[in-house]
Amino acid sequence: MDWQALLLDIVLMPLVAFLVGLLMVLMMRRVRARLERRIGPPFFQPLYDIVKLYGKDIQVSHGFIHDLGIIMVVGGYITVEMFLPVPGLVGLAEKGDLIALAYLMMVPMLGMALGVGQCANPNGSIGISRALTAMLGYDIPFVLVIVAVAAMYGTTSLPEIIAIQQQGGMATWGIATMPVMALAGLITTHVMLAKEPFETYIAPAEIATGPMVEMGGKFMGGLFVVQAFQVYTAGVLYATLFLGGGENWLVFLPKIFAVVFIPFAITIVFPRYKAGEGLLWVWKWPTGIALLGLALILM
Amino acid sequence: MGNKDISIPVAAGRGGGSPYAGVFDRLVDFCRARSLFLLHYCTGCGAIELPPAMTSRYDMERLGIQPMATPRQADILLVTGYVATKTLKRIILTYEQMSAPRYVIGICSCTVNGGMYWQSYATVKKLNEYLPVDMYIAGCMPRPEAVIRGLQQLMDKIEAGRADAWRDYYRRYDHYLGKQQALFGEHWQTPSDIIGEARQYDLLGPDSLGEHTTLLEQYQQPLEMPSTPVFGRERDVPEDEGA
Amino acid sequence: MDKRRELASWLDKVLEDFQGVQVRRKGHARLRVDVDADALPALLELLQGRAGYVHLSAISCVDWIDEEEFELVYHVWSYETHSLVSAHIRIPREPGVYLSIYDLYSPAAFFERDIYEMFGVYFEGSPRMEKFILTEWDGPPPMRKEFDTKQYVHDTFDWQEYDPDWLQAIRAKGGGVVE
Repeated sequence: MDWQALLLDIVLMPLVAFLVGLLMVLMMRRVRARLERRIGPPFFQPLYDIVKLYGKDIQVSHGFIHDLGIIMVVGGYITVEMFLPVPGLVGLAEKGDLIALAYLMMVPMLGMALGVGQCANPNGSIGISRALTAMLGYDIPFVLVIVAVAAMYGTTSLPEIIAIQQQGGMATWGIATMPVMALAGLITTHVMLAKEPFETYIAPAEIATGPMVEMGGKFMGGLFVVQAFQVYTAGVLYATLFLGGGENWLVFLPKIFAVVFIPFAITIVFPRYKAGEGLLWVWKWPTGIALLGLALILM
Repeated sequence: MGNKDISIPVAAGRGGGSPYAGVFDRLVDFCRARSLFLLHYCTGCGAIELPPAMTSRYDMERLGIQPMATPRQADILLVTGYVATKTLKRIILTYEQMSAPRYVIGICSCTVNGGMYWQSYATVKKLNEYLPVDMYIAGCMPRPEAVIRGLQQLMDKIEAGRADAWRDYYRRYDHYLGKQQALFGEHWQTPSDIIGEARQYDLLGPDSLGEHTTLLEQYQQPLEMPSTPVFGRERDVPEDEGA
Repeated sequence: MDKRRELASWLDKVLEDFQGVQVRRKGHARLRVDVDADALPALLELLQGRAGYVHLSAISCVDWIDEEEFELVYHVWSYETHSLVSAHIRIPREPGVYLSIYDLYSPAAFFERDIYEMFGVYFEGSPRMEKFILTEWDGPPPMRKEFDTKQYVHDTFDWQEYDPDWLQAIRAKGGGVVE
């Protein structure tokens, strides 16, 4: 595709991700509120939060590395969005495949670790060490799911995976051809979104929100933006691999909202695993189910 | 029932000469009023009225108010309940760590005029002598409806652009520091560099520097950096069993 | 329950036999014992070792400024008879020093530290005589009756100016705020 269309796609994809992600964050807060028999925030609340955080008059920064850390987090996710194909926008997805996407998705966490290290707050250090432990945990089933999907479809390129599923109709969707793998993928999505019971690294009462302890103002604003990107990426990736992508936005939006609705709805009843316990659980159950699914595919 | 207006006089002439400068400020004030982060650090007995205000019955999240764990992330410092001299030091430390614009709400009568403990040698009677206070909510304790009503009044003030008490801290820092030194002694210092921040963001006023700030400069020592890198400290980091 | 009361009331008779000990029963589980200051450690050792009063509930202090004495009260509790014995002693106010019963009851260290901070009574032998509540206080021990809290408050702190019309109306009729 020519460079003008590519440039337009590269600019539009993170923007669309941001807007849809804001709606998903709103849904997350509203679902949580309704399950707690409250009402929940108004419609534009995530946007108000972000504008307020960026509009702080005095920003407290801990140095250049702290700023660089947040830039890495936000920039990492913007780059991830450019590689994630959605109906009508392909961007760089033809040039980078699933493996590149999985690699890029680790960059934001490392950026946060960089920024938090500069903050020199022991709560932040504990939090980020737990976050990296958790990342070590969920990367195993995540890689297994990716490998299985690539083996099933015979390709790692996301637009081709979407094309295969859409040509065959609903019977060739990932969730129909490899249901065990889809279950493992859903559990892994829940762990990746760091929702209870895997929320130990943001524990607000124990370690004062962990890595976010010294982040205020524009840094927190960046993290709120990244939260929108994160839920969007999780939903879109799952829908692309297992639910057949979408021919147009009218069909695609309900799919991605339904995918993230499931973790949001069940998260509220859980307490929190400790860092080591969560790791062992993730290495037992989602990994076990993924290995079973992988065996079923390869047979 | 009229409320007494204890607002601090706001210096006029905010914003540049362009007519569009006001629009952006209005937009940001609009968003600020609708998204307030409370610091979930409750200083006295009045804090017991906050959980009911946050949970299902008197839901505060529909007004956009949610609790946050650390002062760096929060906008509002709630001083709930009586303020002992020991607590006041920590409150000032917390207040100076917050990012501006930051608001202080004095909940309960003890912050207004001493309240139930007015005869005590160890409590502070008038909170706005040591910190600029935006809003007082009287009561012992005020019910959650009263707390939410007070927060709504603060939201109206923010949206009208009149909640500028935080600037007053920089403009009259010498005055506040003088009161703090009278209570805590001459060696009182905090890790935050208020005058440095005021210079950086152009917030100095006629009363910012004076005899008390010169006294502070004499006694101020730089914050000590830990000798070992933070990841390697074993003393103060709590045990992480199971990791 | 009745057996316990029997056991507890038996203690009255035993203690009355001693010289210099004045026993008063305050209730079915409360016994007040007044002793001399030098006889207290022996009494507490007796109660702890032989009568089963192993729990030190509290040590309180009363400032009798007119008699120029401090009264120290040691409350000890027995788990077997479910009764409390309060041993009262008087020490002169001027040196305000007494010995510590840390060797008998180790929680005494906490109460003695508190009394030292609030009343200024020094306990010799207590392990940590430092401030822990009033760490930023450098005035006289505040619970002493010669320390006028109200005067101190009026000297050190300012009050809020608050003069609404309803208060002015009350003042005009002769009323006002009670000090």
